[in-house]
Amino acid sequence: MAEAGRARILVVDDAGLVRLYYRQALEAVGFAVEEALNGVEALEKLLRAPADLVIVDVNMPLMDGITFLRALRRQPLPLAALPALVTSTEAGAGDVAAARAAGANLYLVKPLEPAALVLHARLLCGVPA
Amino acid sequence: MPLIRARAGEAAALPADRASLIAALEGGSAGERLHAARALAALPGAVAPLSAALHVEAEPAVREVIFTALARLGCEEAADALLPLLRARQASLRNGALAALAAMPGRLPARLPALLADPDADIRLLACELARALPAPEATTLLCAVVERESEPNVCAAALDVLTELGGPQALPVLERGARRFDATPFLRFAFEVAIRRIRASADTDP
Amino acid sequence: MTDEDFRRLCDFLYRRSGMVFTEAKRYFVERRLAERMRVTGATSFASYFARLRSDQPGEVEPFINAFTVNETYFFREEHQLQCLSTDLLPARLMERPAGRPLRIWSVPCSTGEEPYSIAIWLLEHWPQVDAYEIEIVGSDIDTRALEAARAGLFGRRALMRLPEALIGKYFEPVDDEHWRLIADLRQSIHFSTVNLVDLAQTRAHGRFDVIFCRNVLIYFDEASRRMAAENLYENLLPGGFICLGHSESMSRISPLFEVRRFADAIIYQRPGERGDG
Repeated sequence: MAEAGRARILVVDDAGLVRLYYRQALEAVGFAVEEALNGVEALEKLLRAPADLVIVDVNMPLMDGITFLRALRRQPLPLAALPALVTSTEAGAGDVAAARAAGANLYLVKPLEPAALVLHARLLCGVPA
Repeated sequence: MPLIRARAGEAAALPADRASLIAALEGGSAGERLHAARALAALPGAVAPLSAALHVEAEPAVREVIFTALARLGCEEAADALLPLLRARQASLRNGALAALAAMPGRLPARLPALLADPDADIRLLACELARALPAPEATTLLCAVVERESEPNVCAAALDVLTELGGPQALPVLERGARRFDATPFLRFAFEVAIRRIRASADTDP
Repeated sequence: MTDEDFRRLCDFLYRRSGMVFTEAKRYFVERRLAERMRVTGATSFASYFARLRSDQPGEVEPFINAFTVNETYFFREEHQLQCLSTDLLPARLMERPAGRPLRIWSVPCSTGEEPYSIAIWLLEHWPQVDAYEIEIVGSDIDTRALEAARAGLFGRRALMRLPEALIGKYFEPVDDEHWRLIADLRQSIHFSTVNLVDLAQTRAHGRFDVIFCRNVLIYFDEASRRMAAENLYENLLPGGFICLGHSESMSRISPLFEVRRFADAIIYQRPGERGDG
């Protein structure tokens, strides 16, 4: 597998199994992975250390993914321009539109295949396969 | 020394009677609405005005304190006021209601079976998360039933996430059967593996 | 403890507190677990973990207590004091109506090291200290701690991080092991009793520009934590700041505050009000 050049990805999901699954798939191809359990922790982590991509769930406690994306896009640059991949169980057109309006770059419906996750992470990070 | 000793607090006088608080909750500034919601929660008959405000309130901070207030009231009426919001289109309303319901575990056993069997998979999924608030044996029983009958992979995954934290050995046969049903979905295969491994590890070492 | 039990425990602690325990800290975690199991009479990991999860007799506090340093001493977490003088107070001055004092709250203040540290820090490191009225309030639920704070008598350990010159300037030696704060400084801080989850009590303290609330919310159960955070929100002026302890994260407490990054620290802020309030 090609090296992802240590591009850093923040995985934001309240489900520990999801975070672990994404971590293993992404680390296997060379990404460095950080985790957060909700939008507040994601903002804390991104303000401490920059990332190349954030993968974010919608339903999370204290701060959901949509609220997080709005807060992210209000941050100063370059943080505000961080690519965001939303992964959600909600597949309705309204859910996708809400995420897009809040600043999602891409919306994928769960559960994800690892190959699709890696492919889209590479594209959004600008890392060649 | 330029530091000066603080005087007594400078809290503004605020209305304390129910009618004024409801008026403030409906028409005050964001700060006034926030305070009114919190103060109202200490008075009888707060659920109806609080849940009415929740449906029209646009300020996220005020909505949050209303959720906290309803969670603290913790009565049947508060739980019933929160349930329909699990179906809200806005993610922040859904998740606020979910957190408030999770904070009243005593109200859940009567409501969870229906929520876990709801025709809407999104509701079943949120209901799995609510089970996390219950004692482990009750949650394990409810979630094992979900794993046995659930056809939607995301709902099953939500049940597995909670079982991974709290599941007891009685879940193992159910998980082993379930794993075979979802064998074609890579994430579910992984989720079953982790859940089984973790529960088995505790079961092996316990007397 | 098996690997899987360790992960189960770490996942729970992370969900509950935001604290991350890696393999490197495993020895620590195991030692603490063994001690708490002995104290509580738990005979298996599963039975202890059930107790921890339900937090029934308040088991979470003694457990995570072991992983945080609860000592209080002068200039603890100096980076936050640096942030106060470099960023927070200048930001507050931009919003402050003329004539209103800058108010700072140290809660819980325990035996007074924190509010006195704030006073000494500002006198030493904030050049504008003479130009503004500054009120510092220290509050705690423990009245005996407050008595000690008012007395201002400190041992060697409490002063270990203070430069010699500052000890000479702000303290008088009592004996070989104890120093008393000079009267001017003792009298500049107002001490009071407060229970952070009691709205009437917190509200009576008025509104502040900056609140230091370190190493207490992490120990509260979820409901009390949220109550306390909402009380503190009401104790902040719009745009005011709140500093938590370094192992604490607002991500497990409340979404009410905005996360702000300054050069020296992550700080939380009550959003400014848009045209009202």
